[in-house]
Amino acid sequence: MSPKTRIYLQPTPVRIWHWLNALGIITLCVTAVQIRFPEHVHMFANYKTAILLHNAAGLVVTFSFTLWFIYYALVSRNMFKVYVPSKDDLQYGILRQAKFYLLTYFLGWANPHHPTPENKFNPMQKSAYLAIMFLLVPLVSLTGLLLTNVSPMRDLVLLIGGLKILIAIHFLLACSLCAFLFTHVYLATLGKTPMAYIKPMWTGWEEEGAEEHPHKAS
Amino acid sequence: MRILNKIKQIGLLMSLLALSPFMVAAMESSECMDCHGDTDMVGEELTIVPLTFDNTAHAEVGCHACHSSITDQHPDDGLAPSKAACNECHDDVNDEYANSIHAGYAACNDCHNPHQVRGPTAVSGQEMNLKCANCHERNEMLETHGEWLPQADLHISNLPCVTCHSASDEYVISLYIIKRQSGTMFGKFDLATYDELHEFSGGKPIERLVDTNADGYISLAELRMFNLDPAKKQLRLQGMMTPERLSHDFMTLDNRWDCSFCHASGPGAMQVSYLSLAQRDGGFKRIAVEKGAVLDALYGTPDFYMVGSTRSKALNYVGLVILAGGMVMPIGHGTLRFLTRKNRKDEEK
Repeated sequence: MSPKTRIYLQPTPVRIWHWLNALGIITLCVTAVQIRFPEHVHMFANYKTAILLHNAAGLVVTFSFTLWFIYYALVSRNMFKVYVPSKDDLQYGILRQAKFYLLTYFLGWANPHHPTPENKFNPMQKSAYLAIMFLLVPLVSLTGLLLTNVSPMRDLVLLIGGLKILIAIHFLLACSLCAFLFTHVYLATLGKTPMAYIKPMWTGWEEEGAEEHPHKAS
Repeated sequence: MRILNKIKQIGLLMSLLALSPFMVAAMESSECMDCHGDTDMVGEELTIVPLTFDNTAHAEVGCHACHSSITDQHPDDGLAPSKAACNECHDDVNDEYANSIHAGYAACNDCHNPHQVRGPTAVSGQEMNLKCANCHERNEMLETHGEWLPQADLHISNLPCVTCHSASDEYVISLYIIKRQSGTMFGKFDLATYDELHEFSGGKPIERLVDTNADGYISLAELRMFNLDPAKKQLRLQGMMTPERLSHDFMTLDNRWDCSFCHASGPGAMQVSYLSLAQRDGGFKRIAVEKGAVLDALYGTPDFYMVGSTRSKALNYVGLVILAGGMVMPIGHGTLRFLTRKNRKDEEK
């Protein structure tokens, strides 16, 4: 494998979605802290600013999610292939990848997964993104939309169990998403160089071999 | 000011009592009500509903305290009865009101019927707002508030107007039972009347709907039971932030433009709540609720949430654990990655 070979891993719509999402989610996390703990956190000039910014960022994330969905479901039509773990992934892949992250990575072994446009996520990534993109993000967006304007959909709020239950769901899902963000950003630095995985998300192109540190077969 | 006022009221009563032997025999309140409690006799305009009037503070001083000119000859003497001015007793309120932006637009009687009026804790927040809505039409208010206030309709429905438009203070959370309009699945909820609550309580005192052990105190367990009871699906609790001390200095206070007047007061201010139930006489009776009910994570008051103010501590901890879980990889893996960095460098060579 030539280390100079480049592959086009992240098409433009995916990159736009990713960075729009990143900006939105970080804004959401930061404003959320002031919204929940207003007497302790005064990052934004006033409470209303934090609320309005949170609402706007929520809409941006919901919009970018729609963009992502349309792209994968209608344009590239490979959503299932990219995001749903295969039988092999579930049987061996996840274990293989976990073994790499938790053991062989430290020994200097190679990453068992080699990304291609059709198979760009390793089995663990696939499972995590499946839960995040098909469960966490839609649910946190929907609960957020309901909270943005409670009155018109009050009956739906009551059906869920009331405003407090809705807030609890939104808060816990958002915490989970934020927790994932820490892991996501950390794992993004795990390439050959800390920027090796981050660069393709900006330029679209990945140098083949970016995922490999060493050259020992796994 | 308040004590002075009381002294004045007592003084007025004492002088009435002292002068009574020298006066033409005055009527007893009960005699007044013989006629004025009956619409057929005096017509709707002059009717005073006995049940409503009897439980007002004005009933305690009696009819004659305000209508002192009335004698036994009334109404045959053809004289129009005298009416005391409100400021004769309530001069502190009068002074406060006279300096407000409201003065000149509405007189006391435009908002308060002296034969029905009650103190701030014996009326509902919704009822307080009905007085305002007599002049300040709801749709217009939604439009003007909506220009700057997020979720204006939610705020207007769940806050007494005086919260932002007067210096009223000593806020508590009042929980009212609201009921879905009969026979509808997704109908509007209205404040439950005494008769409606009575129907739900199956003949028992209406307090027992929530205060199941009848100890005059509502525990969190009792609140939970009420909220989860399928037989009471048509009922739910609506929370409102209501003032215990009302001010008549109507204005828009500068600090109310800042949402943090309510939303940043922190959990400490949200510890006190009452269940406020409609009574047969038209007033509301309060029952103390266990401290921190509105802060209960899920079932205490499932449909009441004031962002920033009524957050649950328990959920904060769960959230913290989740976030800490997210740091396991960066910190744990990162540390091992640092310690084993040599392995990867060696391999690259």
